[in-house]
Amino acid sequence: MEQSAAYEGQQMYHPKGWWGHYVFSQDHKIIALQYTCVALAIGLTGMFLSLMMRMQLGFPGLFDSIDAGNYYQDVTMHGMIMVIYLLTALFLGGFGNYLIPLMLGSRDMAFPFVNMLSFWVYFLSVIILSASFFVPSGPTGAGWTLYPPQSILEGTPGGDGAGILLMLISLAVFIIAFTMGGLNYITTVLQSRARGMKMMRMPLVIWCIFLATFLGLLAFPALFVGAIMLTFDRVLETSFFMPEIFKGGEVLDYGGGSPVLFQHLFWFFGHPEVYIIALPAFGIISELISCHARKNIFGYNMMVWALVAIAGISFIVWAHHMYVAGMNPYLGFFFATTTLIIAVPTAIKVYNWVLTLWHANIKMTVPMLYCLAFLITFLIGGLTGLFLGNVSVDVPLSDTYFVVGHFHMVMAVSPVLALYGGLYHWFPSVTGRMLDDRLGKIHFWITFIGTYLIYFPMHYIGFLGVPRRYYSNQQYDFIPDSVADLNQFITICALIVGASQFILLYNFVNSAIRGKKASKNPWGACTLEWQTLESPPGHGNWGDQLPVVYRWPYDYGLPGATADFVPQNVPDEQIT
Amino acid sequence: MDTQNPINSEPGILNLSHAQVFVYMLLAVVTILFLFLTNAYVFRMNFEDWQPLPMPSLLWANTCSLVVASIGMGWATRGVNNNNQASLKTGLLIGGFFALLFLTGQFWAWQQLIAYGYLVAQNPANTFFYLITALHGLHISGGVVAWIVITKKSWRTDGTQPSLSQVSLLATYWHYLLLIWVMMFGLFLST
Repeated sequence: MEQSAAYEGQQMYHPKGWWGHYVFSQDHKIIALQYTCVALAIGLTGMFLSLMMRMQLGFPGLFDSIDAGNYYQDVTMHGMIMVIYLLTALFLGGFGNYLIPLMLGSRDMAFPFVNMLSFWVYFLSVIILSASFFVPSGPTGAGWTLYPPQSILEGTPGGDGAGILLMLISLAVFIIAFTMGGLNYITTVLQSRARGMKMMRMPLVIWCIFLATFLGLLAFPALFVGAIMLTFDRVLETSFFMPEIFKGGEVLDYGGGSPVLFQHLFWFFGHPEVYIIALPAFGIISELISCHARKNIFGYNMMVWALVAIAGISFIVWAHHMYVAGMNPYLGFFFATTTLIIAVPTAIKVYNWVLTLWHANIKMTVPMLYCLAFLITFLIGGLTGLFLGNVSVDVPLSDTYFVVGHFHMVMAVSPVLALYGGLYHWFPSVTGRMLDDRLGKIHFWITFIGTYLIYFPMHYIGFLGVPRRYYSNQQYDFIPDSVADLNQFITICALIVGASQFILLYNFVNSAIRGKKASKNPWGACTLEWQTLESPPGHGNWGDQLPVVYRWPYDYGLPGATADFVPQNVPDEQIT
Repeated sequence: MDTQNPINSEPGILNLSHAQVFVYMLLAVVTILFLFLTNAYVFRMNFEDWQPLPMPSLLWANTCSLVVASIGMGWATRGVNNNNQASLKTGLLIGGFFALLFLTGQFWAWQQLIAYGYLVAQNPANTFFYLITALHGLHISGGVVAWIVITKKSWRTDGTQPSLSQVSLLATYWHYLLLIWVMMFGLFLST
């Protein structure tokens, strides 16, 4: 590694050779791309697994190769891949790495070497996870929550083989990678802002990534502890979580442990994890709505404090995932109350987005379409959350498809819509070219309408009492035949939506090579990442001089200015 | 680890350096990790099968080793502060040596417990003891890697000596892991 005092007293890393530039790069932009590519690749695997599940549910028995064991493995790996290895990695490793230094007017992350290490350790965790597909008994089929005792016992797919071990080790390695990355994001946000970039002048997406990172750093250790303890139970036959178990009339070596202890550890991580994904999505939407509606964001300060409130309260709602595990009613009441309270700052954000759109000059660009879709989807997903947050309603609905519909709307479709909006918005900054608008709109409408056709009926199926997690619904009298028709319909929609994602991939590859050249600031945005000397930004981001910030990031339609936006680095006297 | 803010930047938060923010946040994460372990420990100890294991008296000697290691690191910090090379080197050597002695002692304590039949899977109290001491030892080992880097640097003659902030952060890490050990040892003794 070569260090030289290149710019204004800041030590900079300068890569040498192709490997230094593109593989073991310490440049945050390359690391962001690496994170994005790996996350999208493993995400495609996750999507494929969901289509396998849908084939079984829609057309039971059509594929002989899908048996009950495979089905549970698909469910488990789909859930874990999407939540951890796709969304967490892409939002924080991908968007976080790309946007933090550029939006704050910094040359790179505070510790570029640790940043590089973070990606490679993440890559290792993905390799370990993927390896479980190739071990003799396959990956774990314990469900993404990995609840003991069944997750580590014979009879659960992968439970007695290497599957569950590889999952637990991969999670521990992922957490180490996240911690390295997260410490870097926090340090960079606190320490490496351009002159004038006060905390309350930071773009909301940076606030969101910053707070999501805090959540991750404080919540992931719970999963780490849970994973290590479960590994002990699996390998050394200890009994942290394992109660006395009889098998074939014989008592196993386990005894005395508490499966509920694991649930507490898992969900103490698991609920903040929802916000680790949701907060960056909120941030992206805030940026996109303001820019593509050509209007300053409504209630910036309120937005920041709402975020802080959401982040804080997200640590005291975890047991609403455990109502059916058996809980003191007073405790249930407490967690139901905190769950309803967290809806207040969340609603503040939704109102502020809507008020930003009010009387705005809304441009129906692809990113704006995604924003509008996000608002509606998040609202619907959030409203069904009010049902499930209440103990008495949750208990009958908890193990039904209503929950599958709810959480996919609120923490799968909503963040993915924000993610796609963000990819369309920042693609010109990364590649210097525009994504194809026509293909973008086709992809958007298929995805948007398709996901509603997939997840809306699941709420109805849930009300009918159809249990989630079941491999087959055929042999139960209480499930009406109409459910089978509806499941077929959902599966066909899922196949179409799944296939349509290749439009996006094609659009990415084709536009990156042959797309229309983008101007330096194609959306007319105020934030700093569009004000670099070169586009796409070169190594060190800012040429010889760091930018100086004079204003907040949402000066759209400033009275007296001829242009409808004023970038953050333009002083008052230069406004024309 | 000692990156400074460029001239044209906002001052760092609370006038801390990049490395200080990084290490303090790392210590916060380490604290949370041991907090969760403590929570799980207290949760699990209320079950019927919990049988506390006797603490080998060697753990007291190990605790003393870690205290001396911490004092050594403090000495090294004073050395670099007063530009006293001898104090820096002696302090670093004491800090590192006694940390390694602590690790060896902990391993030895494990051997003693195993010899007396307190095996890892026999009782949850045993398992927690081995798990917590192993994780604490791993954190010390991570510190030893940083210690090797800084100690090698302090022996260089080309003028690239470790800075005050590097040595003082290493010392902070040492003090903090001592604190965590004292808390964990207290937990074992009191239960």
